[in-house]
Amino acid sequence: MSLLSFTYGIFKVLGYDLATFVTFLIDSIVFLLVASVAVAGTIYFFRKYMARVQLRIGPNRVGKFGTLQLIADAFKLFGKESILPRLRDDLPYKVAPVLVFIGLLVAFSILPYGSLYYIGDIFISNSGVGIILLFAVLAIMPIGELLAGISSHNKYSLIGALRAVAKDISFEVPMMLSVLAIVVMASARTTNSLNISSVVTSELLPYGILEPLGLFVFFISMIARASYTPFDMGESESELVSGYSTEYTGMRFGLFYLGMFGTILLGSFIVSLFYLGGYNGPYSSDIGLIYLLIKAVIVVVISFTVWLAMPRIRIDKFVNFGWKYLLPISVINLVLAGFLTIYLGW
Amino acid sequence: MSEWVELNMGPQHPSTHGVLRLKIKVEGEIVREVEPVIGYLHRNAEKLCENTFFCDNLLYFDRMDYVGAPGMEVGYLEAAEKLLGVPPPERAIWIRTIMAELSRIASHLVWLGAYGLDLGMLTPFFYAFDLREKIMTIFVEASGSRLLTNYCSIGGVYQDFNEKIVQEIEDFINIAPSKIEELNSLFVKNDIFISRTKGIGYMSKEVAIDYGVTGPMLRASGVEYDVRKAEPYLAYSKVNFEIPVSSKGDNLARFLVRIEEMRQSVKIISQAIKKLPDGPFFNPKAKKSMMIRMRGEGEVYARTEASKGEFGVYIVGDGGVKPYRVRVRSPSLKNLSVLREIGKNVMIADLVAISGTTDLVFGEIDR
Amino acid sequence: MEVQEPKRRIPLVGTVEGVLTVFKHVLMKPVTVQYPEEKEYVPERFRFRIFLNLDDCVGCTLCEQVCPNKSIKMETVKRNNPRNKRMIYPDVNFGTCTVCRNCQEICPTDAIYLTHVFETSRTKNSFLYSPEELAMPEEEVKK
Repeated sequence: MSLLSFTYGIFKVLGYDLATFVTFLIDSIVFLLVASVAVAGTIYFFRKYMARVQLRIGPNRVGKFGTLQLIADAFKLFGKESILPRLRDDLPYKVAPVLVFIGLLVAFSILPYGSLYYIGDIFISNSGVGIILLFAVLAIMPIGELLAGISSHNKYSLIGALRAVAKDISFEVPMMLSVLAIVVMASARTTNSLNISSVVTSELLPYGILEPLGLFVFFISMIARASYTPFDMGESESELVSGYSTEYTGMRFGLFYLGMFGTILLGSFIVSLFYLGGYNGPYSSDIGLIYLLIKAVIVVVISFTVWLAMPRIRIDKFVNFGWKYLLPISVINLVLAGFLTIYLGW
Repeated sequence: MSEWVELNMGPQHPSTHGVLRLKIKVEGEIVREVEPVIGYLHRNAEKLCENTFFCDNLLYFDRMDYVGAPGMEVGYLEAAEKLLGVPPPERAIWIRTIMAELSRIASHLVWLGAYGLDLGMLTPFFYAFDLREKIMTIFVEASGSRLLTNYCSIGGVYQDFNEKIVQEIEDFINIAPSKIEELNSLFVKNDIFISRTKGIGYMSKEVAIDYGVTGPMLRASGVEYDVRKAEPYLAYSKVNFEIPVSSKGDNLARFLVRIEEMRQSVKIISQAIKKLPDGPFFNPKAKKSMMIRMRGEGEVYARTEASKGEFGVYIVGDGGVKPYRVRVRSPSLKNLSVLREIGKNVMIADLVAISGTTDLVFGEIDR
Repeated sequence: MEVQEPKRRIPLVGTVEGVLTVFKHVLMKPVTVQYPEEKEYVPERFRFRIFLNLDDCVGCTLCEQVCPNKSIKMETVKRNNPRNKRMIYPDVNFGTCTVCRNCQEICPTDAIYLTHVFETSRTKNSFLYSPEELAMPEEEVKK
């Protein structure tokens, strides 16, 4: 029983072809809405959390406890004039923010979210090579950032984009290696070790405990992927104004903004799925979604606290860090994972 | 040369405190040349001073270093009182000492928070301002205004300290050291902060002296020079304190020197509040209608240690009720000019970190 | 006194300590004051609004002279005051007043003085207070 078959059951009267089409359509739309609301919730939570950490109150004027503030902000962004730089590269300039946001949404739709009582397993696509697909989709977003930086004809944007690319290539190899370690460990327990759900289900003991080094590398990679402080060299506001998104206004900027917070949420989901046991929990397996959400929220809080407490690292130091520390650590992690799998049979 | 890209930082840029404009030439990420451009906050304060009475000129000095206004007032009054011949009574001297040190802490706290923002730390800014708010309350209780206090006036202070202010200052002395310690630990324990500051922006002793750099920046380069010790004014000769010095000359040294200065300031205040003598707080010669009739002739130069460095005021009087010429030696201007030297051949991110440690306040640079 | 550089320590430990210090502040009370609903603590000696005692004013124009940015102008008011034969009284433009308190300090009869009233916001475009308005409480002026 899954979300798809649940929806399919409702539309069965339409016949096979039409019912399948309607099922996927409706599920996708519902999923888009849920993902957008979740990202908006992350932004609201961040603003409230940041305010409390900084001894402030945060948004509290629009709606009860300021919950409607984000809707007001969205309307504000929609209503703003979209200022286009005269010497831009038109197509890449307009495509870039959309690319970032679509990459984010597609990545959300690949993840499995556990099960909830009547709805059953919640997922949109249960691909057999889900892990490869997920990281392929994640690799779309830097392209959007690069396009934004190059096409907006601004020196700050250009430097920001170059920094973003330098950052991306230096953390993605260790990230993939640490994911590879998980696949190695999962392959001993499940036949389908590239499918995300079967990887998560095979976690009797969370991989974060078996591979603390992998968790460390992966968490840092996720911070760098979402590009907030300490690793926000691409848009470091005190150096490059706003980096690659300097020339963007209105909703185009809003898409970058959403993309950033969405990546934080996405990264938290991925970390809790791969390393913290995902939707596995101690008591009932019917509330896997709740377990996953609790774990994700904890990771989100840790991410936000790191964001608020850390200064920005310098780009060359980060490239150094990526190649000289993260890469060896992830290789050691991979070797350890293989050792654990083959000789100890964990 | 043509491969260098020219980049403007400011005057509307998040990292330039106020309206500094840095014309930089970058080669990739590396800054090859820095050219600070100033003058965006020019308010002609020196010329305006020639058209107003001696007592009103104090206002223009408030607006120079607006993050620590009483410190500037003290600097002006050192010169003006020498010219007009109305020395303040003993109690006023001690009160001024306390206010000057409080403004030093207030100024360093703003710098500390802003330096965190320069490096991308969002939170310490608010903790610094939370502590600064306590000082602001003391200023309001003493003078009636928060920022531009206009508290010290020629021949004394505007109004006397009452029990409540003394109580508030004692409260501040009790909580400040632990708060400063907490703020300090947020910075110096952080590995990334150390990597951003240690060994970055080295300024040698010779360069510092050549450019006329003063204040914490000079002391961080290993020169033990502080006007409070070298040429004591106010009540500084009667209190115990030490001058923090570092021989390293990098960003971290400047950071630590400022933090240590805040601790020493707390120490000075706690001694001064105990030694605060009774007596009049105002020289009767300067009260009431005498305010606009005081005449001064001759020329004086007085220097004080403001929070940014050596603050000198030169006044020429021609025997009238208004000064003939007022000239200010502002420490930030000299500290900024050295950026051309130490901001060369560093990364863009380091340039921001270095210009953060110079502690610029543009009211004082442009005047 | 030479300042000490922090000792070299195990990497990441201090960083984690800093993150924890920041996290601890979640539990502390916010310091923000929700201004119009709750009033901020205003110290007793806070000063803003200038008041004028019409009976005490002798029209000496000292406040006009000392005002650094010419916010105070003298104005003729038809009023029977034996001490003020010229019948001139100060008016204050609060749009340019910097609250330097020089007028209060110089006034020989303490007729002009500052109070801790500070809520002078209004939709009116001009902040020029005539001498009669200066003598009135703030609520009456707003009408």
